[in-house]
Amino acid sequence: DPGAVVPAPQNLSVHSANMKHLLVWSPVILPGETVHYWVEYQGEYESLYMSHVWIPSSWCSPTPGPECDVTDDITATVPYRLRVRATSGPRASAWSALKPPFNRNSTLLLPPRMAVRKDGSHLVIELEDLGPQFEFFVTFWRKAPGAKEHAKVVRSVGFPVYLGAMEPGAVYCVKARALVRAIARRSAFSQAQCVEVQGEALPL
Amino acid sequence: MPKPTNITFFSINMKNVLQWNPPEGLHGIELTYTVQYFIYGQKKWLSKSECRQINRTYCDLSTETSDYEHQYYAKVKAIWEANCSEWAETERFYPLLETQIGPPEVALAASEKSISIVLTAPEKWKRNPEDPTVSMQQIYSSLNYNISVYNTKSKRMWSQFVTNHTLVLSWLEPNTLYCVTVESFVPGLPGHTQPSQQCVSTLKDQTSTLKVK
Amino acid sequence: SLGFRRCLISVDMRHLERSFQEIKRTLQNKDVFQNVTILSTLQSLQGIKPIDVCCVTRNLLAFYMDKVLKDHQEPNPQIRRQISSIANSFLHTQKTLQQCEQRWCHCSQEATNATSIIQDNYDQLEVRAAAIKSLGELDIFLAWINKNHQETS
Repeated sequence: DPGAVVPAPQNLSVHSANMKHLLVWSPVILPGETVHYWVEYQGEYESLYMSHVWIPSSWCSPTPGPECDVTDDITATVPYRLRVRATSGPRASAWSALKPPFNRNSTLLLPPRMAVRKDGSHLVIELEDLGPQFEFFVTFWRKAPGAKEHAKVVRSVGFPVYLGAMEPGAVYCVKARALVRAIARRSAFSQAQCVEVQGEALPL
Repeated sequence: MPKPTNITFFSINMKNVLQWNPPEGLHGIELTYTVQYFIYGQKKWLSKSECRQINRTYCDLSTETSDYEHQYYAKVKAIWEANCSEWAETERFYPLLETQIGPPEVALAASEKSISIVLTAPEKWKRNPEDPTVSMQQIYSSLNYNISVYNTKSKRMWSQFVTNHTLVLSWLEPNTLYCVTVESFVPGLPGHTQPSQQCVSTLKDQTSTLKVK
Repeated sequence: SLGFRRCLISVDMRHLERSFQEIKRTLQNKDVFQNVTILSTLQSLQGIKPIDVCCVTRNLLAFYMDKVLKDHQEPNPQIRRQISSIANSFLHTQKTLQQCEQRWCHCSQEATNATSIIQDNYDQLEVRAAAIKSLGELDIFLAWINKNHQETS
């Protein structure tokens, strides 16, 4: 029915984990019609000083689905107001606003996935690439009574990173947590992973 | 007469060379070029006598742009007989943020099971060899190095970022060729030049030689 | 993130640099007065003592937030997106800076003079030209922040 009002999207919420932010809402159903959605955002700066200014989302102006990746829009650690409306042809719904505004410092930080390897006598790890804002606090230790724990901040991801040399016949363990300075937060530690170094102790 | 094209500064360790392509459609014609430069915020364009009516398509402006905390423009025009082109101008050039950092000098020394690595920070370009040396580390306190070590026997590689200039790789395999690649890295700067690479072999394991006797 | 000497606050420097890099060429090409600068009166900015870093940073953030960003009207959506990103990052930095203001944000006469020179430079130009020039000189401010801080380990 070309004259019918397009209902506004409902149930807006943001699912955010590891600094990836997904805005979702309930789809608008108009039998026989193609519905698109338009997402706009406003940082706290705009809310305070130029409240009439709304910025079209990077990826969802428009979008067919009832969700929008707003990660590239939420680029500062301040509250962001987000709004969505539905369109069908020339007709558009009212705007629905996310309440309360979203701040990325509420993102869920998960322990990083990590591969621990030994290369000869060297302890080497590889961390998953979670994006440019992530660093990793890595601790490693020799599994022995009274052994000292070593720590290292690792910024490079996606290729093997050297942690330290290992003595033959010993077991070494590693655990890591994610650090995001932009929101001044860190994840829990990952499960410890251990590797054993072959070979007997050195001849006298 | 068309202007020269792709005029940019090519900068490594603050050696700032202006380079450009000849105007399109004039290949085979004997052109000459004249260069001028401008210090952002000053009053007028300045000439460089060594880059007046030159045949080459580059001009070293390192001396003229040596204060890396200032910003600069440069421009070049093409000349052929009595004709000359419009000026072709660069974007605003900021050496502090746009120079690339060259690799450090790398010295390797191997023993049976270890390799010691000594790095010397790259040096800022200087006008005369006798001028005092300024290390790029003095300009960029966050300069660090990405060291990659490749075991040619196991075909395995690992890396680590270091800020200090000496490092000992221990518990290596004797009688094995290791290749060490080092790149300089300053967070926020445009990228880095070709890394330096050197290979060295660890010595034969003396204990096994004793057993053989 | 970066700490301003004794006033530890966070600035997502890499992101700010990337945002500015995206719009630098457009902004600087709109700035037709090459013989005038606002921020790069370097003598006033380079001579800032560590103790004044926090104060000068606060004053320059206020200069951008309360003057430059308000005076600039940006029609291009792509440019506006990056300017919004910078503005909201500066707003976050201002807020965290406020938390340590009482004890560490000391302002000497030199620091006050340095930011007054910048203000005077701005006021000598027509307001839109001054705003576009100041935005085009953000790399000078970001480089100054980078140089006058210690990366918090």
